[in-house]
Amino acid sequence: MPSSYYIVNAARLPDLLQAWSKQGSLLCPQRKTDHAIQLATYSPVSDICPDYINLHMSPLDVLNGYEDVLFHWEGNERSYSASPPAAADSPLILYGVRPCDLAALDYLDVFYLAEYTDINYARRRQNLTVIGLNCNRPGQFCFCPATGTGPHAHSGFDLLLTPDDDLYWLECATEKGKTLLATLKDLLQPVSQDALRQRTAILEAECRASFDYLPDLTDIRKAALQGFAHKLWEEISPTCIGCTGCTAVCPTCTCFQCNEERLNATSGRRIRIKDSCQTEGFTRNAGWHNPRSKVAAVRYRLMDKLVYIEERFGKKGCVGCGRCIEVCPAGIDIRTIIDSLQQDCPPPEQCKPLPTCMPQRIPTQKDENLYTPHPARIVDISDEAPDIRRYVLRYTDEERAQRFRLSGQFFMVTVFGVGEIALSIPFGDQHGGMLEFCAKKVGKVTSALAELRVGDIVGLRGPYGTGFPYSSFEGRDVLIVGSGVGLAPVRTIIVRLLEERQRYGRIAVIASATRYEGLIYKEDLKKWGNLPGVSVQYALARPTDAVTAHVGYINDLLPQLAFDWPNARAVLCASPRRIKLVARDLLHLGMHARDIYTSLETHMRCGVGKCGHCKVGSHYMCLDGPVFTYEEMLQLPEEF
Amino acid sequence: MAGLATSFGSGAMTNSFAELAHSKCLFVIGSNTTVAHPMVGMRLIEGRRNGGRLIVADPRRTALAKLADIHLRLRPGTDVPLINGLMHIICEHGWQNSNFISTRTENFEELHDSLRQWTPKYVADVTGVPQDMLLRAAELYARSEASAIVYCLGITQHRCGVNNVRSLANLAMLCGQVGRAYTGVNPLRGQNNVQGACDMGGLPNYYPGYQKVEDCAARAKFEAAWGCTLPARNGLTTIEMMHALHDGHIKAMIIMGENPVVSDPDAGHAAEALSRAEFLLCLDIFPTPTTELAHMVLPGASFAESEGTFTNSERRVQRVRQAIPPLAGRTNSQIIAALSRRLGHVMPNDEPCDIFDEMCALTPIMAGMSHARLDTQSLCWPCPHQEHPGTPILHQTGFTRGRGLFAAIPHVPPAELPDEEYPFLLSTGMRHAHYLTGTMTRRCGILERELPELTADIAPADARRLNIREGARMRLTSRRGSIVSRMHITDSVPEGVIFAPLHFAEAMVNLLTCPALDPVSKTPEYKISAIRLEKV
Repeated sequence: MPSSYYIVNAARLPDLLQAWSKQGSLLCPQRKTDHAIQLATYSPVSDICPDYINLHMSPLDVLNGYEDVLFHWEGNERSYSASPPAAADSPLILYGVRPCDLAALDYLDVFYLAEYTDINYARRRQNLTVIGLNCNRPGQFCFCPATGTGPHAHSGFDLLLTPDDDLYWLECATEKGKTLLATLKDLLQPVSQDALRQRTAILEAECRASFDYLPDLTDIRKAALQGFAHKLWEEISPTCIGCTGCTAVCPTCTCFQCNEERLNATSGRRIRIKDSCQTEGFTRNAGWHNPRSKVAAVRYRLMDKLVYIEERFGKKGCVGCGRCIEVCPAGIDIRTIIDSLQQDCPPPEQCKPLPTCMPQRIPTQKDENLYTPHPARIVDISDEAPDIRRYVLRYTDEERAQRFRLSGQFFMVTVFGVGEIALSIPFGDQHGGMLEFCAKKVGKVTSALAELRVGDIVGLRGPYGTGFPYSSFEGRDVLIVGSGVGLAPVRTIIVRLLEERQRYGRIAVIASATRYEGLIYKEDLKKWGNLPGVSVQYALARPTDAVTAHVGYINDLLPQLAFDWPNARAVLCASPRRIKLVARDLLHLGMHARDIYTSLETHMRCGVGKCGHCKVGSHYMCLDGPVFTYEEMLQLPEEF
Repeated sequence: MAGLATSFGSGAMTNSFAELAHSKCLFVIGSNTTVAHPMVGMRLIEGRRNGGRLIVADPRRTALAKLADIHLRLRPGTDVPLINGLMHIICEHGWQNSNFISTRTENFEELHDSLRQWTPKYVADVTGVPQDMLLRAAELYARSEASAIVYCLGITQHRCGVNNVRSLANLAMLCGQVGRAYTGVNPLRGQNNVQGACDMGGLPNYYPGYQKVEDCAARAKFEAAWGCTLPARNGLTTIEMMHALHDGHIKAMIIMGENPVVSDPDAGHAAEALSRAEFLLCLDIFPTPTTELAHMVLPGASFAESEGTFTNSERRVQRVRQAIPPLAGRTNSQIIAALSRRLGHVMPNDEPCDIFDEMCALTPIMAGMSHARLDTQSLCWPCPHQEHPGTPILHQTGFTRGRGLFAAIPHVPPAELPDEEYPFLLSTGMRHAHYLTGTMTRRCGILERELPELTADIAPADARRLNIREGARMRLTSRRGSIVSRMHITDSVPEGVIFAPLHFAEAMVNLLTCPALDPVSKTPEYKISAIRLEKV
């Protein structure tokens, strides 16, 4: 793409805007009655703000809007259909985007368009033309030179203007930019690239010199990770009043929550609205367990901006716009936090080893129906335990039912009009199109699911996530531990192993619960225990007459298994605390941490790495997990 | 309000919010400011960042208490002993401001005599606050260049609420920490416009601008202005009205934007009283448990559909401008005017600016205000004439009543304390996600997700003893009622205390609360009731 370079008389800017407004919906910075600078629709009489520090809200606010329709549905319990929103977005032109926000857009493109492409963003992005405007003076809270994202932009725009007294330097970087300039040749005076670069470099240096406070972000990953347990987190978290202003204004905050809206008795839609990791409800699950404390939540936002986003996406998570500092009523200032972390970073010889487990990004997959569930009929329901039911589902689209091949680890299950939850896949590949799920009645969606009957329709998206690596289990002894509903995710592996029983060594299953009645798959467990070379044991807190059971901990049962431990494989599905206790004993017995597998099922909401709820460090549990080795698990921050 | 009005002659916040960020010492008592008044909490945090010292007196270890230089973790209901104890220490050490006392106040001897019994040792025994902390707090408050007191419902929602407030007024006058910038006695109001409602005469004993109903001259002025005869006696407070409705002395009631079925103490009583009304008319923007009992409900207008003024805690009158026309067709003032017309009195003005101008004409403290002036600035009353810049700081040269009035304040213990049968002390309040009875905030998805059901705080030791797990549901029972709540284990509450928010109509904490009232202000003792916990 050959770039092109011009100068424009500043007095002709209105003519440019006027011309651009004919090529699409043009939004320009305008000063509102509350003095906020907002992107608003251009009109020849609108009061374009020529000089401003920054837009009050980032362009993401305009791009995603407050609510964003994921799909519409129509029907009733017996016949639902769902469809993605019609693609009818018209060309949108944003004028006056500052370099920090251009850098944010650079990250957003990587975040939204890769892995599972966010179709809503992709559609709007395709129609978007961005005209950047370089800065000539810093605001009180700006620190973009520290993050390397300003005060001049070097990528992320279609056109870029640099103000220089009574003229603008204009750089065109893309075909979209060219289209905007095509009819304006008489307003533009071409210049050489060198001329533009030389002059803008001087202007940038002048602006850069006028920042009076810049934090040092050199090697911030090291300082931040070393400072994970820094006392400053305990100090600032009580000052945070949970207003969520920081995440509302951040140009790289993308987390969302889904709301179900009923339009009338037989139709509705799912919309997403901006969510915030600074709320408790963001990570708290239906059973009221919250893996993130207040301190952890405050720390997570800053670690995400400074470390996690860059670890995963290779782009700056913080672009130095300073909006979160300006908006915080408690004066939480990312700049001073960076300073403290840097200042207290221990010398190299005292540093703890940094995590080496980096997420592998999955290949880009584009699916117009990414957020739209496919209808499936409930063909059977059976009670597994008090409050736990097994549902057998089959896609209503028979072709899909037959074509479907198992992969991954969980499905997103929708009860139309109520909501969506992640459910593990407790069946093997020989399912014949019958998909079985187990759900405990805990929250809103599982309660609604419990009301449904055979013949009713639910929605399915998936399967998603990484499953267990069956092939690596071949020829080895395999231990499978499931605690309570934790047995659901490991059932897959039991069934898979038993389908090809001869390939593996001894198989031991330990099922654990408070009471025997609380276990799921009771009949399956009995059946499996009768197979040759398979042992099934129970570790219960309360005695039972139903089966022979050990009253005590899972750990008590391990030594007597007499496995070939150094070559064995283990799958642990339990609370993180229990996983650690069992894994510690397994390591003592001679197992390797990389041979112990766990399934970390945390509050997955969208299933495709976009909503942000299940992010732990730089890993999305729904993309990179939920299956992790114990070795990997130990490297994750303990917030799952 | 009654307490401060008796001591100073005015019941409102003496200073302004912005000043708090520059006080040398902030004494916050009975206020979970960062949760209940976040915008004021922000000033307090800013004040602390600016080097101001922070004293928090609260039985709970709130987020603000965690930031405090001194956290006085007093036993619930021992505010008067605490403040008397601080004043005892101040007098012992000669830290009082004798000049201020002699030139600006009266009746000091009565207070001074009453302090004798409140020795540090005795106060430590009664309040549970160690003596050295009392000493440090007393010195910090008395000797700082500018100390401000901030209080809220933790002080007033007791049967001794007026006493608590008068004690704080005593303390401020004793040290001369009032009438100057960055000082004062600052009650925080619970709503954006509760101060405005009081200013407007929404009280049983006042006309607009705190002109007394029982003052013949004031009454004559309003009778002349409104062209009607006005009652010569004070009216009833809301709680008294509920009793009168219950007993049949009141037959009909109009309720605007309130939800007493959920918010009144001993809530079963309020519901019972309202269902006895021969005619109950409610005006609200959403259905509530109260509107369910109404014979007729009129659709009210929200803030966004309203034109007029709001007056916040710091007596600052600000314009609110209509953003959208009323969805239901009428503004609240149009509804009131229409009701008045049908009841036989035609109100001459129904344009918000005319109503406001009428009020300013009849109200000396707001005589200098008008919509025109407020269009470009906000003004704190008193603002007696057109050129007056408003008064962010009250009592600068003299108190509103002349001299500040000291009084000996006795300790009145709470009406209902824990006993063997009901061993826990229940205190009520707010969480940050919801506002009052939740009629608005519980309709907002993310706020509702943040706190979808009643969650009560319990101390770790109590939880261990009763074998309660985080998030478990328990039954909370008092002598008046019983509800089920999730339990949250936190060291923010002391042992023996349960804290529960009042936001939930389906689990009304006010079914449990004690109906004891302050004898003067009639404010209920929401902060202290005895309950027991049982497994569900």
